[in-house]
Amino acid sequence: MGGKLIKLIYTLPAVILISLFIKTENGFAAQKSVQMNYRLKWLFNASVVGDLYADANGFFKTRGLDVTVKEGGPERDAIRELELGYAHFGVASADQVIRALSKGAPVVVIAQLFQINPLQWIHRTEKFNIQQIRDLKGKVIGVTYGGNDETIMRTLLAKEKIADNEVTLFSVRYDYTPFYQDKVDLWPVYRNSQGITIASKLRASGEEIGYVNPAELGVQFVANSIVTSKKMLMDHPEIVKTFIRALLAAWEESLDPANREKSLTLVGKFDKDTPRVHLEEQLAVTRSLVKPSLKIKIGSIDTQAWKQTERIMLDQKLIPERVHVERALKHYIR
Amino acid sequence: MLFECRNISFRYPDAEDYVFRDLMLKVTEPGLYGIFGPSGVGKTSFAKIVTGGIRDFSGDIRTEHLNIFLYSYNLERLPGWSSVRRHIDKITPLSKNGLKTELIEAFGIHGYLTSRFSKLSLGQQNRVNLIRYLLQDFDLLIMDESLANVDELTKEEIILKIKETFPMACFFYISHNVVEVSRFCKQIYVFRDAHKQPQIQIVKGLDFSRGQQVEKKDQEIAMLEIMNAS
Amino acid sequence: MLLRRIYQFLIIYLLGLFLLLVIKYALNLSDYVIPGPVEIWETCRETLPRYFSDVMDTLSVAIIGQFISIVLAISIGVIGRQATWFGSFVKVAAYNFQAYPIVAIAPIVFILLGDGFISRLLIAAMICYFPLLLSVVGIMSEPISDIEHFYRITGRMRWQLEVKIRAFENLSKLTTVIAGSATLAMAGTIVAEFIAANAGIGYSIRIALYQSNLSKILVALFTIGVSLSVYQGMLEMAGYMINKRWKG
Repeated sequence: MGGKLIKLIYTLPAVILISLFIKTENGFAAQKSVQMNYRLKWLFNASVVGDLYADANGFFKTRGLDVTVKEGGPERDAIRELELGYAHFGVASADQVIRALSKGAPVVVIAQLFQINPLQWIHRTEKFNIQQIRDLKGKVIGVTYGGNDETIMRTLLAKEKIADNEVTLFSVRYDYTPFYQDKVDLWPVYRNSQGITIASKLRASGEEIGYVNPAELGVQFVANSIVTSKKMLMDHPEIVKTFIRALLAAWEESLDPANREKSLTLVGKFDKDTPRVHLEEQLAVTRSLVKPSLKIKIGSIDTQAWKQTERIMLDQKLIPERVHVERALKHYIR
Repeated sequence: MLFECRNISFRYPDAEDYVFRDLMLKVTEPGLYGIFGPSGVGKTSFAKIVTGGIRDFSGDIRTEHLNIFLYSYNLERLPGWSSVRRHIDKITPLSKNGLKTELIEAFGIHGYLTSRFSKLSLGQQNRVNLIRYLLQDFDLLIMDESLANVDELTKEEIILKIKETFPMACFFYISHNVVEVSRFCKQIYVFRDAHKQPQIQIVKGLDFSRGQQVEKKDQEIAMLEIMNAS
Repeated sequence: MLLRRIYQFLIIYLLGLFLLLVIKYALNLSDYVIPGPVEIWETCRETLPRYFSDVMDTLSVAIIGQFISIVLAISIGVIGRQATWFGSFVKVAAYNFQAYPIVAIAPIVFILLGDGFISRLLIAAMICYFPLLLSVVGIMSEPISDIEHFYRITGRMRWQLEVKIRAFENLSKLTTVIAGSATLAMAGTIVAEFIAANAGIGYSIRIALYQSNLSKILVALFTIGVSLSVYQGMLEMAGYMINKRWKG
C-alpha cells in the first residue's frame, strides 16, 4: 500500500509539469496573438485551395498577421487544438462542432466554407438514377459506419421511412474495389477529391456516373467551417475579423476563374500525386461547392442548414440534447 | 599397436601459440591409461582430436582394431524432463541390460534412479553420466575428469569395476589427481607445454587391480616420476 | 499470477485516468477534449457489454493468430537453426519479410483477402511472429553442449531430440516470450481492425474516433487491458504449470 502511495507521489510532479506545459502554450498564444496557427481538417489538396492561396500570396502578412497554415489529417482535431492552445483557428466539420458544443467546448463558427456538402454518393447511371429518396430502395449503399455519411444516409432513409431491410448497407473503408466490381450500387465520396478519381476511371472504361447529393433530396448536413475559440473571439475580436477577411478574400481570389492557372500551380506544388487534369476538375467542383452561385458570398453561414444538421444529430442520438448551434455561429459575412 | 599419434600439431584459430607440436603417443595394448598435466596444457584438446571434435590439426592418428571412440567429461548433464532411470533405460541396448544392472550396483547409484538428474550431487551426476557411456559400444573411452567429486572409496570401486568389466577396451583417464593415476593406470602420459620436447613423457603406473598389494614405496616413486616429468 | 496481472493493469489504467482528469480540471478543459468522470461512467455502462463482446471477438482472432505465429516461428526457427545455406536463407527471408511495416502490408492483405476474419488473423499472426521467431531462432541455434554431447558422440542425436533439449533448457524464456507476444497479437489484430476490418474492438475504436468520442475510447482501452491481462495471466500460469510438470 505504501508503495502505491509513493508511486502516486512520483506521478504528481509529472502531472503538474504536463499541465504547466499546456498552460504555458495557451498563455503564450494569448499574449503573442500575431503568431498563430491555422489547423486544416484535411491534407493539402484542391479542397483547401483558398487556405493555401492565403498563405502563399501573403493575405495574412499584409494584414499584419503571422499565420502558419497546418495540414490536417484523420488524426487531427482542430477544436481540441483550439482548446489546448495549439491552434488559434481551424477547420472543422459541422458534426464535430455540434458534438464539441454538446460537450461544452468553447468553440465558435466564424465562416462556413462549403455551401454544399461535398460528401455525396457516386453511382453508375446506366443502372439507375436517384431522383427521389424512395429510389434508394433495394440498393446496396456504401456507408462508413460511425462517419458522417452514415448519419446522412440514415437521415435520408428515415425521411422516407425506408426500413433497414429495404436497403443493404455496405461497410466502406479506404478500398474502392467493391464499387469498381459493381458489388455496391452507391459509394460515398468527397465529390471534389476522390469522386473525380473514381469517376475518371469509370468513364475511361465507358461507364457513365452520377452523384446523389443529399441536399437535393432535402437533407442539408453542413460540411467544413472555420472555427475559433470563444476566448480568442472575446480577447482579440479584431484579429479574428482580420483573419477571416484575409482568408475569405484569398478564397474568393483563388476560385476566381481569372486566377485558375495560379491556383492550379499552387495546389500542384502540394498535391504532387494528383494528375493535372484531375486537379483542374477538383478545382472546378470545389468552386461549385464553395460558391454555388454569384449571389452567395464565400464563407456565408447557412443557419437553417446548421439547425437541420443539429436536428439530424439529435434524431440519431449522436448528441443527447439540443445545443442551439445557432448561438455559436458568428456571421462575419452577410 | 592399437593406437598411435604421430607428429600431431595443433593451434586454435587466431591463437599464436601451438597447443601441440609434433606430439607422439603410442598405445600397444588395452587397459587404463592416465593423462596427466597442468591445466591448459591440452589434455581436453587431445581428447577432442582423438574423438573427432577437432579436425584442423596436422599429423596422423593411426588405429588398429579400435573403431568406436567415445569421450565423456565432467559436468555433462542429462536432460531434465524425466528420471535418471528412464534416461538410462532409453539409451541402453537390450543386450546390455545385465551390464546396466551390474554397473548401477557397482557405481552405487541405485538409490536415486528415480530422481531427476538436476537433483543429484555433482559426484552422483558424474557417476550417472559415466554409466551412460559404459553402456554403449566402444573400443576407446576417454574419461575427462569423469569421476570428479566422487569420494575416494567409491572412485576406487568404480575404476576397478571398469577394469574388470572391460579388459579388452582402451581407456584414457584424464585427471589432476596424481595419486589415482599412478595407482590405477598402466601408463601415465604426462602432457607438457608445446615448447618442451618431447611434449609427452611416459611414466609407468602401478596398474592396480582387485586383490593386488601395492607397496607404499612403489606408489611414491611413481608419483614422484609423474611430478618430475610434468 | 492472474490476479496480480489484473490489479497491476487496474493500477496503471486508473493512474492514467487520474492523470487525464487532473489535466482536465487543472486546465479547465471541456468534456470534448477530455470527458468527465460522469460521462466516462455513463459511456462505460452503455457500451461495456458491446465492447466486451467486440474485444472477445478481437481476442479470439489474436489467440488463433498467435497460435499460428507460434507454429510458424517454431517451424522457421527449427529450420533456421541449422548453420546451413538453407537455414541462413530461411532466417534472412523471415527477417526481410518483417522489415516491411505492417501498416504498409495490411491494405494489400485486405484488398486481396477482403475485410473479414482471415485478413485480421493473418495480420495478427504477422505482427507477433517476428519476436517469437527471433527468440526461437536464438534458442534453437544455441547448442546445449553439456547435454547434447552424449547424443552426438554416440550417434543418437535426432533433430527432434535436439529441438526438445533446447526447448526444455529455455522453457522459461520461451514461455515468457509467448506470453509477451500475446500483447503483440492483440495489438496486431486491433491495428488490422482499425485499418479495414468490419468487426472487433479496433473497428469500434475507429467508429468512436469518427465520432470524436474519447470516453468510448477509454472504455475500449479498459476492455482491451482487462482481457489482455487475463489472457496473459492465463498464459503465464500455463507456462508455470508446464515448467513445473516438465521439470519436475
